[in-house]
Amino acid sequence: MLSRDAEHLYWLTRYVERIENTARMINVHSELMLDFPGDQSLGWKPIIETMDSKKFFKKRYSEYSEISAVKFLGDDKENLNSIISSLDMARYNARAIKDDLPRSATEQLNNLFNEFSGGMSSSSSRRKRASYIYNAISGAQRFFGIISDNFSRGYAFEFMRLGRFVERIDMISRIIDSLCITKSEEQTHDFPTLEWVSMLRTLSAHESFRKEIRGEIERGDVINFLLKNENFPRSIYRCLTITEKSLLSLPNNTNVLEVAKKLNTRVFIAKLDSYDDKQLHNFLDYLQRRIHLLDENIHKNYFHNYL
Amino acid sequence: MHMKISWKKYPSTSFYDEYVTPQNTLRGHSKKIGTFLESLSIEDLKEISTATETAIKSMGISFRVYSEDNEDGQDRMWPLDFIPRLIRKLEWLQVEKGLKQRVKALNMFIEDCYNKQNFLNESDMDESLVLDSPAYKKYCVDVKLKHNTWSHICGSDLIKAHDGKFYVLEDNLRVPSGVSYMLENRMIMKRVFPELFYQYGVTPIDAYPTKLYETLASVNNSRSKNPEIVLLTPGVFNSAYYEHSFLAQQMGIDLVEGRDLIVAKDGFVYKKTIEGLVKVDVIYRRIDDDYLDPDQGNPKTTIGVKGLIRAWQEKKVAIVNSPGCGIADDKAVYAYVPKMIKFYLKEEPIIRNIKTFLLTNKEHRDFVFQNFKEMVIKPVAESGGYGIVIGKNCSRSEREATIRKVMNNPRNYVAQPLISLSTTPTYSGESLEPRHLDLRPFILSAEKQYVTVGGLTRVALKKGSTVVNSSQGGGSKDTWIV
Repeated sequence: MLSRDAEHLYWLTRYVERIENTARMINVHSELMLDFPGDQSLGWKPIIETMDSKKFFKKRYSEYSEISAVKFLGDDKENLNSIISSLDMARYNARAIKDDLPRSATEQLNNLFNEFSGGMSSSSSRRKRASYIYNAISGAQRFFGIISDNFSRGYAFEFMRLGRFVERIDMISRIIDSLCITKSEEQTHDFPTLEWVSMLRTLSAHESFRKEIRGEIERGDVINFLLKNENFPRSIYRCLTITEKSLLSLPNNTNVLEVAKKLNTRVFIAKLDSYDDKQLHNFLDYLQRRIHLLDENIHKNYFHNYL
Repeated sequence: MHMKISWKKYPSTSFYDEYVTPQNTLRGHSKKIGTFLESLSIEDLKEISTATETAIKSMGISFRVYSEDNEDGQDRMWPLDFIPRLIRKLEWLQVEKGLKQRVKALNMFIEDCYNKQNFLNESDMDESLVLDSPAYKKYCVDVKLKHNTWSHICGSDLIKAHDGKFYVLEDNLRVPSGVSYMLENRMIMKRVFPELFYQYGVTPIDAYPTKLYETLASVNNSRSKNPEIVLLTPGVFNSAYYEHSFLAQQMGIDLVEGRDLIVAKDGFVYKKTIEGLVKVDVIYRRIDDDYLDPDQGNPKTTIGVKGLIRAWQEKKVAIVNSPGCGIADDKAVYAYVPKMIKFYLKEEPIIRNIKTFLLTNKEHRDFVFQNFKEMVIKPVAESGGYGIVIGKNCSRSEREATIRKVMNNPRNYVAQPLISLSTTPTYSGESLEPRHLDLRPFILSAEKQYVTVGGLTRVALKKGSTVVNSSQGGGSKDTWIV
C-alpha cells in the first residue's frame, strides 16, 4: 500500500472524528449553560483553551460570548480546528483517494459539507444552531457507519481506524481537561458533580455509565469510567486498546506498538479516582504528549515524512 | 402527439453521412439500427437522453476544464451522444492493419533518429525538423529500447472524408488520452439503450486494460516475473486525472504521484509504501517529458522525480511512453510518414495521409497563399485544436495576419487542404441531425501490437462545427464495429 494513500486515509478519519467531537463539545457546553444562566465560571473560555487556540481566538473576537465561541468552533474557516475547516480537510483527503472509498461515503461527506456551509453562526436562534450541531454529529456517524459496513478489512481499513481512534483519544482527553480547567476556585454554584454528568453526556456515556454505577454520581467513578473502562467505546483505555489492535495488524510495527502499549499500561495502573483536578490535568497533559508522539511515529514509520 | 423519427426528414448536407445516403435512404450497414430508430418517437429519444445524463452523473464520469476565468478548473460531466457510430468490420480490419503498420514505422523512425539517422541522411526530409525540435532530447541519443519501441501507446486521429474513406489527421505519440471514455461510453450505452445492441453483434471493446497491462509488463527490464508497474499522474488537478485513476484501477496497479517515488542511491526507482521502499520496474507516465525529472527539462518541476531520466537511461526502470518520443509527434514530420513506411517496411501505406504542405518550401508556400480559401493552416506543435486557421472563415486582415505569421516562422506551420469531415446522426435536443466527427483509436506496441476495437469517436455538437475537442464543446459517441 502506498504511503500517501495510507496518510490520506488516516487523516480523513481523524478529521471526521474531529468534526463529531467538536460538535459534541459545543452541544454539551451549550446545554450546561442553560442550567446555570449567569454563572461566569462556566464560560466558553476553557473550551477555547483546551483546543490550544486562545491566542488566535483573542485576535479575532472581542469576548468569550456564546456567539463568538460557536462561530469560532463551528464555521470560522480561519480556525483550522473548526468544524467547517475539518470538513474541508476531510474532503480534501477523500478526494485524493476517492477510488478507494465507497462512493456513498464520499457523498455523505459532501452532503454534510453542503448542509453545514449554510452558515450556522449567522443564525441567531439557538434552536437552529442546535440542529446544525446535531447534523454534524449524526453526519459523521453515518460516514463511519458506511465505512464499517462497506469497506473491506485490510491495511486501508486499519489506517482509517487508527486515525479515528488516535483523534478520539486526543479529543476526549481535551474535553475532560476542559472541565479540570473550568473548575477553578471561583466556582459559584453548588452542584460539583453536575459538570461531570454533562461530561458523560458529551461522550454519550451516560446510559452506559448508569448500567454500571447506580446511585449518587461520584467524581471518581466518572473519571474511572471515562478513562479506564474496558468496554465503553469512548473511554481512553478502550480507544488505546483498539489503536493497539490496529497497529498489531500493520507491518513493521515494533516502534509504534511499543509507544501505544506503554501508554495503555500507564492508563491502566494510574489511580485516577484519587487525583485532584490539578493532578488530573497533568496526567491528561502527559497523555496528549504521548499521543502526539504516537502520531509522530506513525508518520515516520508509514508515511515516510522524514524522507 | 408522438412524433416518429423519419429518415426522410433527416437534413441532408453536402458532407458524407455515415448513416444516410444523399438520397435519404439508409446505407447497408446502418439499415437495422436506422429501421429500429424509426420505431421510436422524439419523446423516447428525450427519455434516453435524460437517462444518459443521469447515468454519467451517478458514475461520476467527468473531465476538468481550465479557462482564464477559472484557473482552478471546473469538473464537467462527460458529454455522450447515445446514437452509436457504426464502422463495418471489413473496413475496420484494413484500418487496424494500417494503424499497426504506421506506428511500427514511426517507432523505427524514432529509434533511428536517436541512433544511426539513416532516414534523415537518405530521405529529402530536412533534418532540422527533428534535430532542432524542442521534443528532441539529447539524453536519448544512443539509447536503444526493448522491442525497439518508443511510443508504446499511440492515439491516432482519423477522419472520414467526402469519399467515405479514412485518413490519418495526426498521430499523438506522447501521452494520448481518451481511452477511458471509450470504455465508459460502452458501459453507459449498455445501461441506457440496451435494445440497440440486439440489432447487431457489436464487437466488445473491454480487452483494452488487459492488453495495456501486458504491454507495460513486456517492457520490463528486470528479471522479475511479476514486474512492479505504476501509473504516474501529475495529480488530482490534471484534466485527465479521471482517466488516470480509472486505468490504474482497471489494471490493479498503484496510481502514484512524483512525490511517491524516489530514485535511491543504487540508481533504481522505488515507491514509498507502508512497508518501506518497493522497487518499481515500469512507469506508465502521464506527465510530459519536460516535467518528468528536474535534472532534465524544467528544473522547477514539482510533479516529477529527481534522477528518473538517468535511471531510465541505465535501464533500471522502463518508462512508457519513452521520453523523447515526441519528435515524431509533429505536423511537419507527419507529412513524411508515408515515406517512412516505404523506407523502413518496404510497404505501401495502407491508410492515407492528408496532403500536407510544408511552408518552409517556397513553391508550397506560394501555392498555399494563392489557394488560401481552400486551406487550413496549423501550428506544428499545438494540440487540442488550438491555433488552427481555417482559410475560408478568414477576413482579409485575419488572412494577412496569418500570412505574416507563417512568413516570419515557416517552420512552425503546415497547411492542408480543408477536409470535409463526415457526419453521423446526433441527438440535437429535438431531433436527429447530422454532426461532424472524428475517431481516435489507440495502438499499443511492444512485444505485440494491439489496436482498440474502434476507438473514441468525438463529435462536434454544435451545428456546422468541426471542432470535436471536449474542452471546446465537443461530445463523444460509442463506436461500433459491426
